Amino acid sequence: MYRVVEGLFYQKTDEWLKVEDDTGTVGITDYAQDKLGDIVFLEEAKIGKFVNKGDAVISIESVKAAADIHSPISGEISEVNLEAVQNPQIINEDPFGKGWLFKIKIKNKDELKDLMDAKSYSEYRK
Amino acid sequence: MNQNLKKIPLFNLHEKLGAKFIEFANFLMPIYYTSIKDEHLAVRERVGIFDVSHMGEIKILGKDAKKFANYILTNNIEKTNFGDVKYSVMLNENGGIVDDLFSYTISDDEILLVVNASNIEKDYNHIKKYLWDGLNLTNESDKTVEFAVQGPKAQELLQNFTNFNLDKIKYFKFDYINIFDENMLISRTGYTGEDGFEIYMNKEIGEMVFNKILNKGKDYDIRVCGLGARDTLRFEVCYWLYGNDIDETINPIESGQKFLVDINKENFLGKDSLIKIISEGVKRKFVGIEVLGGIGRHGYKILDKNKNEIGFISSGNYSFVLNKSFSLGYVNLPHGEIGEEVIITDGKREFSGKIVKKPFLKPRVKKEE
Repeated sequence: MYRVVEGLFYQKTDEWLKVEDDTGTVGITDYAQDKLGDIVFLEEAKIGKFVNKGDAVISIESVKAAADIHSPISGEISEVNLEAVQNPQIINEDPFGKGWLFKIKIKNKDELKDLMDAKSYSEYRK
Repeated sequence: MNQNLKKIPLFNLHEKLGAKFIEFANFLMPIYYTSIKDEHLAVRERVGIFDVSHMGEIKILGKDAKKFANYILTNNIEKTNFGDVKYSVMLNENGGIVDDLFSYTISDDEILLVVNASNIEKDYNHIKKYLWDGLNLTNESDKTVEFAVQGPKAQELLQNFTNFNLDKIKYFKFDYINIFDENMLISRTGYTGEDGFEIYMNKEIGEMVFNKILNKGKDYDIRVCGLGARDTLRFEVCYWLYGNDIDETINPIESGQKFLVDINKENFLGKDSLIKIISEGVKRKFVGIEVLGGIGRHGYKILDKNKNEIGFISSGNYSFVLNKSFSLGYVNLPHGEIGEEVIITDGKREFSGKIVKKPFLKPRVKKEE
């Protein structure tokens, strides 16, 4: 069973989004980190860059594969988790916590309605 | 799932041990159990056990089997005796690499070849095609299991099971020893760059032996290791992987395996082509590349600083010991000087790289002085 955290938004490409006021924090789910295996590279997102919902923002790479991280929402990148860039293993260890990837200044909260809640996501990745 | 997939003999045991499986060479093989990194470091620091029963075992039997092996392989098998293991390549008539393999000299009339899983049928047919009259060829792959016990604690672990002093088996030597009341072939060989042994036995006793080693191995914090760690371990010490780093379009001079070729042997398959290749000079070179920001994987292109294509990546991986990413690949000469800066691309992303010395990590095998 993969861990899913209540109160977060999820999308089919296995990213999660935590919303606090106008700021969204993006990470990958427990399912995604398990499928990737040992993560060894995280590309540093460009602060100030505007991304559209669904855009491939950065790549993440494990020994097994490289994958794109798609933004669950549109907005401007406002912060990057440099600790995860320098030590990507923390994404495996704590995907919903210390292993978050980047923050985004949300442009339009209406887009949240397209995302799944914890219950739907755990059904999806049962 | 592919219906033609073969199950390795101990499939159920691996499933019970929590293995994640992938398709490899028509087998459903364990790729990892805990994590590739955890298993990799266990072998570098302590000990790991790999079930490598997918590997092929082909025997050449009959008068002058050794002489014939000396003809189809590039290394000098003629000079070997009971207990000698040789690493060789086997060439086609054009000098291309049909396979890379270990040969075990059991006697002048019996040679065991341990070949890559993906090449079992191809090798068998290739050898059959050139087989001398009076010799027999048998494919023992389906009835043989092979385990690799690798790491600095490998000998200490295995010594628990036998009175035979394992010190007597030197690097690239083998013997038959009695373990668990069964006779098995054991060699001080491997594919990890660590000291260790490879053990061959009939498949009927495989599970019993594997379990006994694993249980005792807990005293050494052993890990069961999958194909993932097998690949990252061999990669760190720059051992070639057939199908990635070498194949029939590549000759052993380009691949840096000239040391496996005894060019002074009277005759061997591919010799004429190889002499021609050597005299004309090769056009490309097998190099190691340190890569920044990602992994340069099999099939990615190598570009020079001006973005002209100069070669391709044959293997790429992350070194858990050096904490860096490296690739192996071929570049067109005169490229390939140590220190040369290159660009690695999958067509979408670009990584900068620098040609570095091989191996990335020095093997810690116990070579004889």
